[in-house]
Amino acid sequence: MYDAPHKDKDVTQNDIKISARDVQVFYGDTQAIKDVDVEIDDKTVTAFIGPSGCGKSTFLRCLNRMNDTIDICRIEGKISIDGEDIYDPSIDPVQLRAKVGMVFQKPNPFPKSIYENVAYGPKIHGMARNKAELDEIVENALKRAALWNEAKDRLDSPGTGLSGGQQQRLCIARAVATEPEVLLMDEPCSALDPIATAQVEELIDELRQTYSVVIVTHSMQQAARVSQKTAFFHLGNLVEFGDTEQIFTNPKDERTESYITGRIG
Amino acid sequence: MTLAPFVILLFAAFVGYAINLRAAQAIRADGVRLHSLESFHGLFSLLMVIVPVLTLVLIWLAVEGAVIDALLMASLPAGVLDGLGSGAIQLIGAEIRSIAGGRVFGTPDDWKLEAAERLIGYRQASSWLLIVVVTGVSAGIVYFARGRVASGFRARQRVERITLGLMIFCAVVAIFTTVGIVAALTYETFRFFQMVPVTEFLFGLNWEPQIPIREDQIAAEGAFGAVPVFLGTIVIATVALVVAVPVGLMTAIYLNEFAPHAFRKTVKPVLEILAGVPTVVYGFFAILVVAPALRQFGASVGLDVSGNTALAAGGVMGIMLIPFISSFADDALSAVPQSLRDGALALGATRGEMMLNVLFPAAIPGIVGGVLLAVSRAIGETMIVVMAAGLMARMTINPLDSVTAVTVQIVTLLIGDTAFDNPKTLAAFALGMMLFIATLVINIFALRIVRKYREIYD
Ligand SMILES: Nc1ncnc2c1ncn2[C@@H]1O[C@H](COP(=O)(O)OP(=O)(O)OP(=O)(O)O)[C@@H](O)[C@H]1O
Ligand SMILES: [Mg+2]
Repeated sequence: MYDAPHKDKDVTQNDIKISARDVQVFYGDTQAIKDVDVEIDDKTVTAFIGPSGCGKSTFLRCLNRMNDTIDICRIEGKISIDGEDIYDPSIDPVQLRAKVGMVFQKPNPFPKSIYENVAYGPKIHGMARNKAELDEIVENALKRAALWNEAKDRLDSPGTGLSGGQQQRLCIARAVATEPEVLLMDEPCSALDPIATAQVEELIDELRQTYSVVIVTHSMQQAARVSQKTAFFHLGNLVEFGDTEQIFTNPKDERTESYITGRIG
Repeated sequence: MTLAPFVILLFAAFVGYAINLRAAQAIRADGVRLHSLESFHGLFSLLMVIVPVLTLVLIWLAVEGAVIDALLMASLPAGVLDGLGSGAIQLIGAEIRSIAGGRVFGTPDDWKLEAAERLIGYRQASSWLLIVVVTGVSAGIVYFARGRVASGFRARQRVERITLGLMIFCAVVAIFTTVGIVAALTYETFRFFQMVPVTEFLFGLNWEPQIPIREDQIAAEGAFGAVPVFLGTIVIATVALVVAVPVGLMTAIYLNEFAPHAFRKTVKPVLEILAGVPTVVYGFFAILVVAPALRQFGASVGLDVSGNTALAAGGVMGIMLIPFISSFADDALSAVPQSLRDGALALGATRGEMMLNVLFPAAIPGIVGGVLLAVSRAIGETMIVVMAAGLMARMTINPLDSVTAVTVQIVTLLIGDTAFDNPKTLAAFALGMMLFIATLVINIFALRIVRKYREIYD
């Protein structure tokens, strides 16, 4: 059940990157998230686990204000990144999303070439001054997403022509290319085979050097393998949050224990 | 009287239904398991009556007139038709028919009055005969259908087979009608090209479809060069698209992505109403509002604008096409999955960038398909151009000039007394054929693009 997290790069005390206070999320009249308080560290992988429909995706989408696109969604409470309230009117959600990247559950490459997919973010944010710089950014992003070897000879072919796992890595490369400070991943491996999953997990571990990564997953093993911190959600509540090792070996709440041992979910 | 066979037929069908239903119910009441539900046995009888007998009645009514006419002509006293042309014989037939209908003009010959009497007699006989035949055949079929009711009879499948046959019949009727129309068009076009060389029609720069009315009349030989006519259509269609495509696309983009929900909910139906406005109303709009306004504006800047401009006709046609294009583009944009929008937004794109760089390219095949369909509507549109465009064919691409369109020429060529044996009227078919080919090619193209695009996202 429990695999040891990467002990060599063990949990060190990091700066707080994201802090959420008293967050409530409503879809119309139904409340999807209740009183969530959480602090997400920099240069750390934080896993969100919990049964389906408990609000993991909803909370994740609050962190880059993707919920703004849903008309009926309403958010209360305070979420700050680097001490800045991201729901403050002075914050531009577009800038925020450049800083907080996101990878979705289902691969969603644009119907453009592989190159254009990866170059899209850098282009709209003006990150490259010339073609050579852009080429370099694309190459680096694809390398980090472990897709370079497979894609380097077909950069001009459509991204939608890749296999599901390759598409997901392309989406990761696309997110990485804009050099976000936080990367949100909503079940990034649910469409992947074990080999691609292992590659993505390796990537996540590497991204931890520079980013703060939040990953939603339904796989306990994956949470245990890649994360240093784990948050367990249940029915919209954050039931327990702590070091991954502690959550998996010695959960304080009996709901957490029931869930990770497979009794609820 | 003509109604009677239909009433009998329907009555027989319902009686057959009831009888079979009862019979099947009786079998079931005996504790035997039926293969098909009772109602299918009933329906079997119903359809067995309606389909063949209705066909019979319709055929009867279709050929009745011709048969009676032939009988009537054959029964006329020997000698009265001698030496008359086919036109005169037809006139006599018509006169007898109107006497039979009670409209007597002057004092007709006795033999005509007698013939009218006979005609009434034939008609009555035919009606009675039809009623007898319908009753007999229906009764026979009801009896036959009743005989089929049995526990093992697969009425369910039979009913489905008959219904299937009906559907195939309807589809075939539609297809054959189209084929027939195309065949007629092709035939007349072929006749036209026997009188006027194909090359003159396709490449001639002069369109003056006049022909001498009398043999000895000295008039210019008609000129049938269709280029200026097609040029007119192209100018008008271009103006229409220049108006409709940008406005339609902008509307679609706004409604699809930026408009508040409530606004979208009210504007979409309004656009659909706009699409339902009869084109003749747009024609009024063009001649009563747009054309005078253009003239006035032209005068104020010192331009001489003619009364019937391509700009007025094309502009109004463009307004007509806006809802068409916007609804196509809206569908295409809506079909782009939400995940692509999320993907672009999550990278820090603004809504505008997302629309321009991601949604629009993804939707482009659908949009192109819609635009192409709009093109074929524009070149086939008749009423607006008949009302608002000119009649004279000119070699010009100036939208402020008066130009004519293919459809306008077809209408004018066929208006008034026409005989289908001269190049003037036959030219209409050649124009129609060209128009048909053009729209066909564009539509095939458009549908292929639309279909290809559908394959990507589901
Ligand atoms: N767009 C929406 N409109 C209305 N209700 C929503 C919407 N999205 C989510 N919800 C509701 O909010 C609750 C939490 O959904 P959420 O997608 O966050 O769950 P989740 O934990 O991500 O589940 P899963 O593991 O299945 O992805 C659910 O009850 C869901 O029905
Ligand atoms: Mg989810």
